[in-house]
Order: sequence, then structure tokens, then C-alpha cells
Amino acid sequence: MRNSWRSLLRSPLVLVVALVTLWFIATFLVFPNATLLIGTFFPDGRFSFRALEKLVSSDRAMNSLWHSFLLAGTLAVTVNVVGIFIVLVTDYFAIRGARMLWLGYATTLIYGGIVLAAGYNFIYGRYGFVTNAVGNWFPDIDRDWFSGYFAVVVVMTLATTTNHMLFLGSSLAKIDYQTIEAARNMGAGTLRILWRIVLPALRPMIFAVTVLTFLTGLGALTAPLVLGGTDFQTIAPMILTFSKSSGSRDLAALLAIILGLATIVLLAMMNRVEKSGVYFSVAKVATPLTKQKIPNRAANVTVHIVAYALFLVYAAPVVLIVMFSFLDSSAILTGTITWDAFTLGNYATVFGTPSVLRPFVVSVVYSALASAIVVVGMLFVARVVHKHRNPVTTLIEYLLHIPWILPTILIALALVMTFDRPQALVGGQVLTGTTSILLIAYIIVKIPFTLRLLKAAFASVPESLEDAARILGAGPLFTLRTVLFPLVIPTAAAIMALNFNSLLDDYDAAVFLYHPLYQPLGIAIKLSTEGENNLDSMSITFVYTVLLMIIMGLAMYLVYGRGRASTGRRRRVRPRWA
Amino acid sequence: MIRFDNIQVRFGDHTAIPGLNLEVKQGEFFTLLGPSGCGKTTALRTLAGFIEPSQGEIHIDGTAATRLPSEKRSVGMVFQNYALFPSMSVWENIAFGLKVRKTHKAETRALVDEIAGQVELTSEQLDKNVSELSGGQQQRVAIARALVLKPRILLLDEPLSNLDAKLRVQLREQLKNLQRELGITTVYVTHDQEEALTMSDRIAVFNRGVVEQVGTPEEIYNRSATEFVCTFVGAMNRLSVEVMQRLRDAGAALEADKASYLRLEKVALQRPTEASDSIRLDGIVAERSYHGAHSTYTIHSHGSSIRALVAEGGAAPLVAGSHAELYIDPASVLQY
Repeated sequence: MRNSWRSLLRSPLVLVVALVTLWFIATFLVFPNATLLIGTFFPDGRFSFRALEKLVSSDRAMNSLWHSFLLAGTLAVTVNVVGIFIVLVTDYFAIRGARMLWLGYATTLIYGGIVLAAGYNFIYGRYGFVTNAVGNWFPDIDRDWFSGYFAVVVVMTLATTTNHMLFLGSSLAKIDYQTIEAARNMGAGTLRILWRIVLPALRPMIFAVTVLTFLTGLGALTAPLVLGGTDFQTIAPMILTFSKSSGSRDLAALLAIILGLATIVLLAMMNRVEKSGVYFSVAKVATPLTKQKIPNRAANVTVHIVAYALFLVYAAPVVLIVMFSFLDSSAILTGTITWDAFTLGNYATVFGTPSVLRPFVVSVVYSALASAIVVVGMLFVARVVHKHRNPVTTLIEYLLHIPWILPTILIALALVMTFDRPQALVGGQVLTGTTSILLIAYIIVKIPFTLRLLKAAFASVPESLEDAARILGAGPLFTLRTVLFPLVIPTAAAIMALNFNSLLDDYDAAVFLYHPLYQPLGIAIKLSTEGENNLDSMSITFVYTVLLMIIMGLAMYLVYGRGRASTGRRRRVRPRWA
Repeated sequence: MIRFDNIQVRFGDHTAIPGLNLEVKQGEFFTLLGPSGCGKTTALRTLAGFIEPSQGEIHIDGTAATRLPSEKRSVGMVFQNYALFPSMSVWENIAFGLKVRKTHKAETRALVDEIAGQVELTSEQLDKNVSELSGGQQQRVAIARALVLKPRILLLDEPLSNLDAKLRVQLREQLKNLQRELGITTVYVTHDQEEALTMSDRIAVFNRGVVEQVGTPEEIYNRSATEFVCTFVGAMNRLSVEVMQRLRDAGAALEADKASYLRLEKVALQRPTEASDSIRLDGIVAERSYHGAHSTYTIHSHGSSIRALVAEGGAAPLVAGSHAELYIDPASVLQY
């Protein structure tokens, strides 16, 4: 790592990267958000509380604020209860069929957001299969039983436990088993060990995932929009509603700013807790965790029953969605399934009708382009930031993390409101309403994650490799190309796959920024959930969902599954130039 | 061959090397020895061109090299962790520098094969990925990669520290033989005194960025110039005031107000057969540690513990609690 200004200014490549990055930051990260703030608090060039007054006097807006905090608070409890239970039964306790249970719980890794909300709506919603089936027997049933606060909490609880599976699971694996053995040796029972040894060691991670869950609840858009009904709307859907009219855009902006402020405060709290105290193993030779048997028979049976019941709750929608994708729409409507109802017609419609396939293609193209651009761009930025430490690169790094602390909705709204008129920073162009603005938004939201991981990848390459290349006569570009890039490319490819996955079914940014002629998948799926006369689009959505699950499952396998397989021995032959 | 002229290296406010003056001769195996953080690696990296000194000049073959980039200094370097490129095969690693120089393919092949033979790498190993090799084999690859460009100087930064004890002894002999065979000027960095003593033509002992002594291994060990060199290189007894009083009472011309040291092997437990000025001390054996070829005795005498190294196979071993006679030649006592 060099901190001299001379080395920074000596390289044309570094200069170009720094200048392009600074332009991007100024144009798309700082300027739009500043415009949003100024537009809200300085509407006529003078400071004004007008937006705040409008907010306080609007029952809908105030209700949405209350609902958001209520949802976030509820989720902080429910997600922790379910998430910790899931991690314990799959990774800590010896439960029969734990691997299968894990697969069931992990289904939310391959479908979430609008797809998950739509899936639940199609199954349990007003016109859903289960509601229809039960309605056949009990015609007086309240068809809106699965809507409002209850439905949103259920769906979001199930969707948000992925954080626990990924992060809490890996924290649990790092616990030194010798600490458990030591506690047992001193006479502690299973429950006491769990309560006094295991959970305290997981406390920082539990806190971190709780904050993430709280933030997810606070900024929730798709679940309240699809399942919240008229009585339970939160901040994000309100922002969307208010942003549609020019008279209430300041209200939308203020709500987005409140959301942003809450996010910043919570992330700051999380950072503070992360920095205090060491809870992980301090052993030099940590022993891997061994699964614990539950000695009490009744407790063991109860845990098994609850674990399998949860498995059904998680796996049922996936199984039903796959099944429904092969059913004709009338069977779903009537809630009666016969062998004759099974068909490949839905798939034929999707693949055989260009207009139906179009949202899928649009999303694939947007996701692929955005994830490729952000990874390639951040490869250079991460390299420069890692190699040259000085006030400019430090500032660049901090500013590139802005999207991390701002909700996607706020970023999207700021882009819409800023680029709806010609702007000098983009050559006097109007971007709102064009196809490029959604691509820009996707690139923006993926920058912090990509930069952080790529910087870590560069940091993990020993500096001596570069020294070795240098002493053997290799120049900086040659070293970058032949020594460094081959080492960080696997990480870059994994990030690209994860970015691609998460953008494929995006709704939050798309709903503000999509081009009417190029509707992405998230929008198409959301439209299919509206009203009762959308039977065909419901069936098509099931096909979309199955295709999404296949693509996401494949990407997850390529990132995680293949990664593990390729750590084995690998033989290389002499290169052709030899 | 190599000359450091008043080299100063600073990292911010910290001065790693205040002013280094050193000369390495052509074809010499020269070792920079010292504890962690003493500045030996910094000196080596400055010579390699990775660190720019804040003051002073480095001369290589009489030419000022301070401002020359590392690739222009004709130095090959073996890093502590070998720094082999993990994405390349053994062959590609060794040929890397030749590829950078755009050497002709046939010549590259010949040069790689030649150096691989010299460091005892087989053709099969050349096709392997570096991660498939053992630590010792990786070290050979690192040496081959450094030597294939035929540099004038070879720099080795603790290249044996990652290996197990037995392999370390074996490889240091091979390394020394290879250096002798090639006649290449070598600068070797280590904190291991045994390595330095067995391999080097000359040694510079570093302490806090300053060279305390430059000399042959024998000079460093037997005629340590400073108290630091004396205590850092080899094991030592620090003689107590009471022991020194006893020696002076017996006629030894030793100064009273100086720190006095005696190497373990200079303490005899039997009266020397030849005429000598040895002075006898009496003590009680506190402990005997058996090391195979020799034993180390700890003997309490005149209020202090004195250790003595005795070759096995001679007289019957002394047991703990028994009386012992110690014979010390005052000429062997080092005073600072």
C-alpha cells in the first residue's frame, strides 16, 4: 500500500479511474440526494417546514409511519424467534433430517421480494388457491383473511430469516466447541449451555441481524403493497403513492428522508456494537462444533415437531408454485385439482409469446448489464482505493458507500426528481423516463456490496506477490492482468452472480424508474396480483417464479456449491507460449 | 559490490534505520541477523528497491542504484512466504520474468529446464500448480524463479522460516552449496543465529536499526563487540557480582563494574588437563537437561545459577544435589 500522491498522479489509469469515479459520485450519489433534500426543505428557495406540516396533518402518512415502526418492531421479534430456531435445529442440535430441513428453510434464498409476496397472495390471498378451496366448503369465509398486518408479518418473517441462515449460521460454526465441553465438564445442562455459552457468543451477530431485520421492516414495499390491504400501508408504499402526484412529491421526499435517517441511525448503532467487545473464540486452536443431542425426550420430540411444521410452512409455497405453474388457471380459480388440469400450456405461453417473455428478458438484460458494469468498474476502483491511501481515495471510498445507508426507494425517488429536467452533469440530458435511469439505479445500489468485497479480495492478495512481479520486471498493468486479476476474478464472478440474482426480481427501484415499453419482471408480477380477472397472468407469474427459482438456484450453486468443489487439487499444464 | 552509504529509512515519524553503512563483497554470503523489528528486512527491501530511503545512497557495482527501480537493479529475491503466483503452474512461475523480458520461447524453455535441474525440481513438478507442492519444493521454485534471470545479487528474506526443523537444516546446506556453485553475491536475512553462523561468510548483527557488529561467524560468536551481540548470538551465563568477586579474589584481571558473560561451553566441570589459568568454583548441581549429544547442567554457585554444556560420553553424569567443581578461564569472560 502506498500513500504517496506522486504514485497516484504518475499513473494515467489511476487518474482516469479517479476522475470517472468522482464524476459518477457527484452526478448520481451526491447531486440527486442533495436535490431531494433541498426540494423538500427549500421549496421556494427559502427554508420551510411546509412538507413537515403536510406530513403531520396527513392521517395516511402518519399511519404509514406508525405501521412501519410497528412492522419493524414486530419483525425484530418474530424473525429472531424463527431465525434462531432454524439455525439451532439445522446447525446446533442433532435433529433427524437436518439437511432436508435446511433445504426447506433455504427456499427463501431463491425467491423473495415481490415474487414471494405474489406467491403467498396467489395461494392464500382473496383469490388464492387455498382461499378458493376452503371457500368451496365454507362459502361465508372471510376471503380477506390473509391480508393486513398479520399477512405482512407472516410473509416477511419467513422471507427475512435468510440473514439468520447465512450470518448467524456461520457465527455459530465459529464457536469453539471446547467451551461447550468445558461447561458440560462443570455440570452445565443443555439449556444452560445454550443460554449461557452459545447465545451470548452469538449476541453481536444476533444484534446485527436484528438491525438488518428492523431496517427491512421499516423500508418494506412489496409485502405491504401486495398483502397489506387498505388498512395496513407502510412508509414505502406511501412514498410510491405520494410520488405519483406532483402536489405530494415533497411528502414522498420527506418520508424517504425519514426512512434514510432511521437507516443511518440504526447502521451507526450497529457499527458501534460491532466495535465493542470480542465474543468470538479466542482459542488458538478452536475445535469444530459437534451437534448436541437433546437429552430430554419430550423436548426432543417437541423440537422435531416444530422443526418439521416450519419446514412445511417454508416448503409448501415452493411446491405449490411449481405445481401451479403446470395447472390451467381455472383449476386454480376453482380450487379443484384433477389430472386433466395439468398442462404445459403456461410454459408454452411464456416461451411462445414474445410479449409475455419480454419482462423476463428485460430483467435478465438489466440485471446482467448492471452487475457486469458495477463489477468491472469496482474492480478498478477497489484496486486504486486499496493501493493508494490518501485523502482523495478515502473520500471516494466513503462516498461510494452512500447507497448503503440510503434505502433504494429514496435513491430511486431522488433520481426521478433530479433527472426529470436537463442536467449539465449528464450533458444536458433528461434521464427520467429513459431506459438508462433504471440501469444507473441498479448500478448505484450494488456499488457498496461490490466495492467492499472486491477491496477485501485485493487485500487478501499478499503484497509480496506484487513485489515479486515487480522485481522480475513486470509493470503495473502486466502485474494487474497476469497476477492480481486471476486471483480476484473468482470473487468478482461470485459477486456478479449474487448481484444478478438480487436484481432479477427487483421491484423497489423499478416501480419508480422503469420505462413503460420495457417493463421488468417485478412490475409484471406486481400487476398480475391486482384484481381478480388476472387468471392468465397469475399462471404466467407462476412460470416466471419457477424460472427465477431455477436461475437463482443455479447462480447460488455456481457461487457456493462449485466454489467448494473447485478447492480440490487442480493440475495445470504448460501454457501454449512455452 | 554492494555499499550502503548512510542509508536512512523513515516511516512517517518512525525511523526504522537511522543511518546504515555497510559493504558486501563480490560473491559473498552476507547475512543480516537480528531480532524481529530490528530493521534487517527493511534494509533488504531498500536494497531490492521496494523502499525508497529518505537519505543516503546505495551503490551496486560502483554505480548509484538508490533511484533505480527494482527491476533495473539485477537482483533476484526469495520472499519469506515465497510469493509464488497461485494462479500459475510451477513452470509459469519460473518463466514469469523471462516472459516479461519477451525471451524467445526456445531459450525460455532451456533456461527454465536448466535452473529447475539446479534446484532439483523434476519435470513432473514443473507442470504442477504451486499449491500442490510441499513447503520445501515451493522454496526451490522461489529460488529458481529468482535465479533464472541470472541476477548479480540474490536476496533471501527468511526463506527457511516456514519449514520444519529437519528440512531447514537440509535446505540451508543445499542453499549454501548452490550459492557457492553459482558464485552469486547473496544477502540473507534471518533471526536464527544458528542459520547465520552456519551459512554466512560474514554477518551484520542488527539492533533497533543499527548495525552492532560486522564480522565472520567466529568473530561474532567469540569476540562479540557489544553486549547485545553477545547476548543475542548463542547462549550465555551472566556472571553475578559474587562470582566476579570470587574470580577477582583468585587473581583474575577482570573489571568489577562491567557486565560479565561466559558462554556455556566455556564452563568446565573437570579440571583442565593442560596448564591453564582456570579458576575453580564450587557449586551444587540443581538440574541436568539431556540433549543427546550433550547435556546442560545448571549449577548453583556463589548465589547464582551457572549453566555448563558438557559433551556426553565422558565422565559419569552428575546427579542433582551432588557437589560440582566449575573451572572458568578468566580470558573467556566477555565484559561490556
